[in-house]
Amino acid sequence: MLVGISLISFFIMHLAPGDITNNEASFNPKASEESRQKLREMYNLDKPIIVQYGLWLKRMVTLDFGKSFASHQKPVFWQTTDVDGNVTQGLIQQALPITLMINLLGLTITLSLAIPLGIIAARKYQGWQDRSITLFNFIGFSIPGFWLSLLLMYWLGVVNNWFPISGMHSLNYDSLDTWDKIKDTFSHLFLPVVIPSITGLAGITLFVKNGMLDVLQQDYITTARAKGLGEHKVVYTHALRNALLPLITIIGLSIPGLIGGSVIAETIFAIPGMGKLFYDAVLMRDFPVVMGILTIGSALTLVGNLLADVAYAWADPRVRRGVAKA
Amino acid sequence: MSPLFLNLNTAICLSLTLFVAGCNSPNEKQNQIDYTTQFPQVSGGTLINAMTGEPSGLISMIAGESASSAISSNIFNSLLKYDKNLELEGDLVAHWEISADQKTITFKLKPNLKWADNKPLTSADVLFTWQAVTNEKNASPYASDFLLVKKAETPDAQTFRVTYEQAYAPALDSWAGLQILPKHLLEGKDLHTTAFARKPIGSHYYQLDSWKHGEHLKLSKNANSVLGPAQIDNLVTRIIPDNSAQFLELMADNIDLMGLDPIKYSRIIPARPELQKKLALYKELGNSYTYMGFNLKHKPFDDVRVRRAINYAIDKQEIIDGVYLGLGINIASPYKPGTRWSNPALTPYPYDPTKARALLKEAGFTDSNGDGILERDGKPFSFEIITNQNKEREKSAVLIQRRLKEVGIDVQIRAIEWASFISRFIKTGDFDVVVLGWGLGLDPDQYNIWHSSQQASGQFNFIGYNNPKIDKLLEQGRLELNPDKRMEIYHQFSATLLEDSPIIYLSAGYGLTAIHKRVKGIDDPSPPAGIGHNSQDWYIPQPLRRNEISAH
Repeated sequence: MLVGISLISFFIMHLAPGDITNNEASFNPKASEESRQKLREMYNLDKPIIVQYGLWLKRMVTLDFGKSFASHQKPVFWQTTDVDGNVTQGLIQQALPITLMINLLGLTITLSLAIPLGIIAARKYQGWQDRSITLFNFIGFSIPGFWLSLLLMYWLGVVNNWFPISGMHSLNYDSLDTWDKIKDTFSHLFLPVVIPSITGLAGITLFVKNGMLDVLQQDYITTARAKGLGEHKVVYTHALRNALLPLITIIGLSIPGLIGGSVIAETIFAIPGMGKLFYDAVLMRDFPVVMGILTIGSALTLVGNLLADVAYAWADPRVRRGVAKA
Repeated sequence: MSPLFLNLNTAICLSLTLFVAGCNSPNEKQNQIDYTTQFPQVSGGTLINAMTGEPSGLISMIAGESASSAISSNIFNSLLKYDKNLELEGDLVAHWEISADQKTITFKLKPNLKWADNKPLTSADVLFTWQAVTNEKNASPYASDFLLVKKAETPDAQTFRVTYEQAYAPALDSWAGLQILPKHLLEGKDLHTTAFARKPIGSHYYQLDSWKHGEHLKLSKNANSVLGPAQIDNLVTRIIPDNSAQFLELMADNIDLMGLDPIKYSRIIPARPELQKKLALYKELGNSYTYMGFNLKHKPFDDVRVRRAINYAIDKQEIIDGVYLGLGINIASPYKPGTRWSNPALTPYPYDPTKARALLKEAGFTDSNGDGILERDGKPFSFEIITNQNKEREKSAVLIQRRLKEVGIDVQIRAIEWASFISRFIKTGDFDVVVLGWGLGLDPDQYNIWHSSQQASGQFNFIGYNNPKIDKLLEQGRLELNPDKRMEIYHQFSATLLEDSPIIYLSAGYGLTAIHKRVKGIDDPSPPAGIGHNSQDWYIPQPLRRNEISAH
């Protein structure tokens, strides 16, 4: 499966015209075509694509993701140490934790807002609460993220100076004590985490609301109410658990998104994450980086789907029994 | 509600309140400072600027991108440099001599030069750097100038001598561009992978203090600087890819310096008193120009009358006013106006549609079917302008499209992503007309762009220009090291080029910069070398420094 994915992505990438020697910086009359040709030879770009793929696959078998063309031959995936003991960090190694942290925080915020909002909207279905939640969600959903980001950056960062505008850390981060470091990181992450969660809220809220509406109309809820259970217990103990089942699928499907990052958000907030890394690599035709990210991304997608299936079976006895029977 | 939700919320509220309390006060204090007050000049402080891309490494002969040389030029010296009037002077070199046959250049290094790590800097380092840049294994994009050196030798520790096969006038400029690297740290290392590129040791005003990937690079003063100490202690360059975010940081006083586009320069900042109070704006002639180039191998662009007609039909002032908000100038030669290479006798083609129509008619174009588009031999005069995805070039193309329509030429426009643009269209010669830009180099030699021998795929005369007179002038210009005689040659070259009109000069935009008023010692108006030429003498008076940085 992975071989198939990598083969397709490798060929699509090479279908795009140009290579690393065609970037804008090399369009300089002082830079000669011969030197570009030498670079091409150095990176094996002069060989037929199938040979290049073979070379790449050969390295991949030993889990060697290779070195980036564009960033001084930094390793694509994990750090290396040279003979003098200088450690060079891998590109994905540096970018992945940042993106993962931001997206996990974002997902947590989205879920912790979407679930209560969805429940309220379902319980007060067609009431003013439901309507205002829906309205709020769709406003959030329709606002372009980058626009909202710039407005909030201006308002919170320039006019009021409550939050830093861009970057991951303050310049004097290293000289801060631990508590200030945490504060510093949180304040830098506030905007990049909150803005995508607002825009992502609509989908999940609707999902929870609809799930909840379905469940609340089922016979066992009527039974529960009939046997005199409190409304609170009916909703939160009996209905909610079933209504949340489909969320597992959504979370499973969002795993590739978690590592993918967003080019626009990362560019605006100057965050050195995966989205920016991938985007720059595509523009620079930095094939080892593009292939590295695609391979790791597709592997994680497969793992994500598997985890979602397993979690589903764990959460839903009907699925579990079905598996056992088969 | 989940406990996690509560925790997150409190944490965010907490950080919010802390910031309201913690960060508002210094800002308000800063807002009350009058930056025009005179203060004594004391060295120290930190200057913060930003750039959109991160350097790949700091060995610029390998890295090749502008982000790299922007940083490394603060760390490494060259043999020569340009003074504020763009004349050559010694950098590492005390003086240099050119032999009578103009083939040998002898450089004498200044005495007692030292690297930042206290090791002596000698002619052996220069020789090593020359070997590195010409080494085939390093595949340096800048090798070609240095491959012309037939022999490089070091008679003693302070002397470096190069001999060329034949006199090569651009040699001096090439030595002004080559940053000298330390032999004792790089000998036997692979320049493409060495860790030195991320922790360099140089000889210039600054040395690298720290480099946080994707966040910032911090330079601090080099105690061994071969040119004496700089005034400002630290230079911090933040990496902020988005221009709008950079501007917000500038507005919030988190960076001191930023290159501007015309809208920010002439509309946004002047409209805001609070920004005017703290930002000083600078305008200098930029180092590049935008042009429209014909594929001279395609008909009808092989006809000089057609090229000149199109030149007359385009209103360049309209492009400067419309696209650059007036912040550019019209040029008549591919050299920076005001420098010795620019021929002051030349004037650009004026906007003259009547003349354009007459020339087109002379070339055999008439509107025989009355559809408003000219035809020759039954074929309508129609072509496509291609450009890369650059807003200013696209807008210029749109204005050109309209003006050419008025004289009866049908134009389509296509903007293409850079790598595709180069490999699919430029390299293959599969285009009619391009709108692109060239840099205005400090050396007048433009052999690679205009000489008829430079037309192979991947070379830079991709418009296919072939003019024996130009070829001859370019060859002469390369052999003449006397600046005055050389100037004559290039004045003639520009005049011929203008007459032949293989490209149409559209505009040379100004370089626009905003610098926080806390930074003093900036030359205004800027000399030909630009405002940055004396950045080592810039200073930030003590009372105007940022609190959080000086505490650092």
